Amino acid sequence: MARVATGRAHDLVGATLWSVVQSGSIIVVLIGWELLARSGLFTAFLLPTLSSVLARVVEDATSGLLFFDLAVTLYRAVLGFAIAAVAGIALGILIARIPAIHWLFDPIVSIGFPMPKVAFLPVFMLWFGVYDFSKISMIVFNAIFPVIAATVAGTQGVDKHLVWSARSLGAKPGEILREIILPAALPQILTGLQVALPTALIVAIVTEIIMGGDGLGASMIRASRYADSPGVFAGIVEIAAAGWLVIKGVEWLRRRLLVWHQETQGLATM
Amino acid sequence: MTATLWRYTPLFLIFALWEAGTRLGIISKWALPTFSSVVAAWFSLMEGGELFYHAAASLMRGMAGLGLAIVVGTTLGVLMAWVKPVRVIFNPIVQLFYPMPKSALIPIMILWLGLGHASKIVLIFLGCMLPVTISAFNGARGVEPVLIWSARSLGATRSAVLREIILPAAMPEILAGIRTALALSFVLLVSSELVIAREGLGYLIGWLGDGGVYTSMFAVVLTVAGLGFVADRLYLALMKRMLAWRE
Amino acid sequence: MTEGAGNGAAAIRVEEVSHQYLPARGRPVLALDRVSLEVREREFLALLGPSGCGKSTLLYLIGGFLPIGAGRIEVGGRAVTEPGPDRGIVFQHFALFPWKTVRENVMYGLAKQGLAKDEQARRAQEFIDLVKLTGFEDSYPAQLSGGMKQRAALARTLAIDPQILLMDEPFGALDAQTRILMQEELLSIWQRRRKTVVFVTHDVQEAVYLAERVAVMSARPGRIKEIVDCRFSLSGPALFKSPEFVERVDHVWNLVRGEAIAAQGGSA
Repeated sequence: MARVATGRAHDLVGATLWSVVQSGSIIVVLIGWELLARSGLFTAFLLPTLSSVLARVVEDATSGLLFFDLAVTLYRAVLGFAIAAVAGIALGILIARIPAIHWLFDPIVSIGFPMPKVAFLPVFMLWFGVYDFSKISMIVFNAIFPVIAATVAGTQGVDKHLVWSARSLGAKPGEILREIILPAALPQILTGLQVALPTALIVAIVTEIIMGGDGLGASMIRASRYADSPGVFAGIVEIAAAGWLVIKGVEWLRRRLLVWHQETQGLATM
Repeated sequence: MTATLWRYTPLFLIFALWEAGTRLGIISKWALPTFSSVVAAWFSLMEGGELFYHAAASLMRGMAGLGLAIVVGTTLGVLMAWVKPVRVIFNPIVQLFYPMPKSALIPIMILWLGLGHASKIVLIFLGCMLPVTISAFNGARGVEPVLIWSARSLGATRSAVLREIILPAAMPEILAGIRTALALSFVLLVSSELVIAREGLGYLIGWLGDGGVYTSMFAVVLTVAGLGFVADRLYLALMKRMLAWRE
Repeated sequence: MTEGAGNGAAAIRVEEVSHQYLPARGRPVLALDRVSLEVREREFLALLGPSGCGKSTLLYLIGGFLPIGAGRIEVGGRAVTEPGPDRGIVFQHFALFPWKTVRENVMYGLAKQGLAKDEQARRAQEFIDLVKLTGFEDSYPAQLSGGMKQRAALARTLAIDPQILLMDEPFGALDAQTRILMQEELLSIWQRRRKTVVFVTHDVQEAVYLAERVAVMSARPGRIKEIVDCRFSLSGPALFKSPEFVERVDHVWNLVRGEAIAAQGGSA
């Protein structure tokens, strides 16, 4: 085990160094942006300089507006995601285990999963207005399907020998669900959640762009209405940062929850 | 046949409940028009040719953007997997842009490319390219070295290996990535048309909604949902045929 | 094997059991056709047959994992209806809970018996030591080699002290050397803690070497074709070269060979 730990530490140093070397192309792109914007080939309206965009991000940060918008957007995305996760996992288990519920929900899920649910946005505006409830409902509606589908596939795909082992060791049905089926399905459920969370963020931004109000998407579209193009670009940078935060967050969570899984045990096999 | 019918009975139940609920006044007519009036509106939109016109515009944009994304994304992904300089240059850029919610690009696309087709096509292209690139990269990286060694020892050149071994072996993952991209293309298409456009199904939904013509709006919403579903099913059937060798 | 077979009383009685299964596509398949079999108390019995002859199905029926379509199975005089801790099972692919460490896996069944925490830990350690996994208590299954995984699975099953041990090709996924070591180990454990063992395998030599009696099954639909007595006066490595062992392996092999060819042709 000790060897494994030092191996990981070593990898970390190596990976950091390597990522600096590798970011070369990003630096080139950023410098290219700045030079292109300064060259006068495009107006500042079409392509503001990188420095002016970054200055705007800093300004938004110091004024506190950035953190307010970020908090609002993440609040909607994460709350919607959380509701979708809890309800989706519960529903997924019921669908996988109870034939009647399977019959009722299977066609709804198989049609609902691939259909573009953003098309229902005007319907949600009609029913629920343009405030948080409407936005969060829309997020739940979009994010719940991957969770349900992954939970159904995960729970149905559990190796029957695991279930049989537990039964023969004396586990009762409820215990088998909690102690065997859920942990065994966890990798797949997490994969579903990893699809659902970015979806939640995309939809949060779309609802903010279309319904207005506050949040990163709304601020960006407002800047666009005022023809404030550094504001629009700054909004994109901020939204990208939020997306990066969210994705790294789930990856970290996945590694924490799946210490036992082969994918995290790669180094330790004998 | 009866099995399929039985399987989809819950959907008919939903439509029946919708009709009954609105007719009996349990659900307000302002919130939800009757199902039958929505169906009638759909037929009149079809007859007037509006639905067809806007659907054609949307589908053209979607297919153009997605097609570009598939070609460029697959090429880039496979090259990234097997040509090191390509990987070194593009990997950080892919990693940087992948987590970004692509809907954020809508205002810039409008700023740069206007309200017409181009802004939507480029948006869909940019949004759908990365999932395809990443799946092609993973698929191509995962190819068993023995397959490549076998081909090389049988006399295949490096580029032949790329086309004849790596691409087909990576196909299952690439096709799965394209399925994600297909769903994403509808989302980006509809949301960008909802934000601002002069034609397209998203535009039509927004326009009908603003005008308070809810029966027609619901008809178009259901059309979009149905198109997304049908596109996915057609794609699945195609995928199954292309992967017939996997049994 | 120098000792005689168990004391004659039946630990497991299989009477006229048939089993059909429905494949995802196609017509129902008759896997077992009116199989009758008696396994004696503390006996080591091997079920041998070509792949697809239903030997694992028979084992799963005894375990109570599959519903019994026709016929009757009794364990200790009571009809089998569901799995229970009186019949421990070891699978070919181990079926360890991958999110639990070796210790937690072994403790799982003990916890279900309602033992106190420290008693669970003590017994778990005893069986981990017995299968020689000392030092790997806190490893996850993904960190273990195939042989070690199977030892852990064996410890988990033995720890709840079942009277009957059902083994479904337990060494089938192991490499040749590990398999021989595990066979020795299983015999030595069985000699110390006499249990009734039903051991499914398609390896003739393994069956003749380990078991006191070998039940040879026919190709699908599975029936018991012959039961061969495989007790020898010798034991240990010398046994493999003894004429009586070689002759018995030859006899059993001839029984299985025809069935294996039938199974190949029948599946085409």
